[in-house]
Amino acid sequence: MITLEAVSKRYGSKTVIHDLSFTVEKGEIVGFLGPNGAGKTTTMRMIAGFTTPTSGRVTVAGYDMATQNSDAARQIGYAPERPPLYDSLDVAAYLRFVAKVKGVPRSAVHAELERVAAACRLEAVFRREIYKLSKGYRQRLGLAQALLGKPDVLLLDEPTAGLDPGQIQETREVIRSFGEGHAVLLSTHILPEVTMICRRVAIINHGRLVAIDSPGGLQRAVEQTNRVSLRVTAPAPALREELLSVEGVSAVAIDPASGDGSVLTVECQVEARDGVEAAIARAVAGRWDLHRLERKQPTLENVFLHYVREAPAGDEAA
Amino acid sequence: MRGTLAVYHKELATYFRSPIAYFVVAVFMLGTGYFFTYNVFLTGDASMGETFRNMGILLLLVIPVVSMRLFAAEDTAGTMELLLTLPLTPWQVVLGKYLGAVTMLLFMAAGTLIDLVPLYLFGNPETTTILAGYIGFVLLGMACLAVGQLFSALTHNQVIAALITVSVLMGFWFVGYLQSFQTSLALRGLLGYLSFALHFGDFIQGLVRSEAVAFYLIVCAIALTLNAGYLQWRR
Repeated sequence: MITLEAVSKRYGSKTVIHDLSFTVEKGEIVGFLGPNGAGKTTTMRMIAGFTTPTSGRVTVAGYDMATQNSDAARQIGYAPERPPLYDSLDVAAYLRFVAKVKGVPRSAVHAELERVAAACRLEAVFRREIYKLSKGYRQRLGLAQALLGKPDVLLLDEPTAGLDPGQIQETREVIRSFGEGHAVLLSTHILPEVTMICRRVAIINHGRLVAIDSPGGLQRAVEQTNRVSLRVTAPAPALREELLSVEGVSAVAIDPASGDGSVLTVECQVEARDGVEAAIARAVAGRWDLHRLERKQPTLENVFLHYVREAPAGDEAA
Repeated sequence: MRGTLAVYHKELATYFRSPIAYFVVAVFMLGTGYFFTYNVFLTGDASMGETFRNMGILLLLVIPVVSMRLFAAEDTAGTMELLLTLPLTPWQVVLGKYLGAVTMLLFMAAGTLIDLVPLYLFGNPETTTILAGYIGFVLLGMACLAVGQLFSALTHNQVIAALITVSVLMGFWFVGYLQSFQTSLALRGLLGYLSFALHFGDFIQGLVRSEAVAFYLIVCAIALTLNAGYLQWRR
């Protein structure tokens, strides 16, 4: 549904997107993560057709955005980070304008407006002027206009920013239900949101794609480079020496709060391969009492930070 | 066509749901009323001739207020991102907005019709001359709006858009007066041809010359084409 092939974007001499390639298939919600200034909004804008890539190709629903912009635009619902609203219009007039432009048949406009207003909980403010709306309602109106005309592809740039927890929950439900049968690209800062509703996650940093996989897959990938923690009753110097002699252990940190002869809490930095825990267990359990041994499970926050910190620093992105 | 109409209706709703339309029409009626009263009652000239001339100059100052927001306000509000990602071609956006602004111009012209009441009550004005004057007024206004809309697209700042538009329109208005300083016939001809004021003068005298009509329409066409081209290029 959405395909980016070696897409780059330059502003003057500054390259903000480098050789970006990924796809979003029908029926999946892909989370788009990255620190501020990583190039998420620029990428969204290129897919939506607001800006064109300097090189590479963006296709949406089979249409090339460079040559078939208008055809593609009918298949796209785009909710920019800042809701694009006309303050002097009321909610109904605004939605009617977008519905007409999107080619919703005249006879179906009313029903379509009611559908999106109900989905985004806008019924209470349907006749209110937009400048009188609270931030939460503005955000939801921005989402509602994107849903008009049942587009095949939905591009959402931080749709839950500024919403209260109840509204966030409702908005997630809308996105989740929309994701069935459509392609959704969701840019967000809220990491639990990604784990909850996204099938896959793309992480971008300095305009480069640094990882794309399912949330679980990303966690497993990071896990391979993570830490092993253990609790052992042993003398600290001997334990440290023993652990460092195990192949695959690169560093050992013993919690200074735990004393000699008592139960020690130890963290080992280990290599990215299987079997290291087993080797540690064999080495330690042979000589001392091993109470606990576990590989630390990374949270999505850690996964995100891992990729964002590891990525090579390039040009600053917009 | 449907896209153009949707943009047009949106523009009209924006004008009439905010104070812009009422304020602009009221100011224009007030200004025209003042000049009309001055011309007719103080000089005793029972025609619209001088009033039309004053309306032309007033137009140069009021049009930028209408046109400055056309695109610059979309940029400020972030709605440009909506307009350029909806299934609309640049021409549909440009025409929809332009037709909305021209409708405002027609309201401004209609508001001044009230001045004709005393003219017909107490005098014997030439209807065809007045009609020609109004045709000229609308054509002049259309050309000014097209120029103003172009400058509104070129900058994100409404005040700058208005200031540039006033300067350019003033230039087009007064360029004809440079004629008398030129010795070259070609240059005199060119300066005369470019003058908004001289062409408008023909209409005020009751002459609807195809050359003058074509001139204003060509200015509109050039400005709107550049406007649509700029939107396309911006992507």
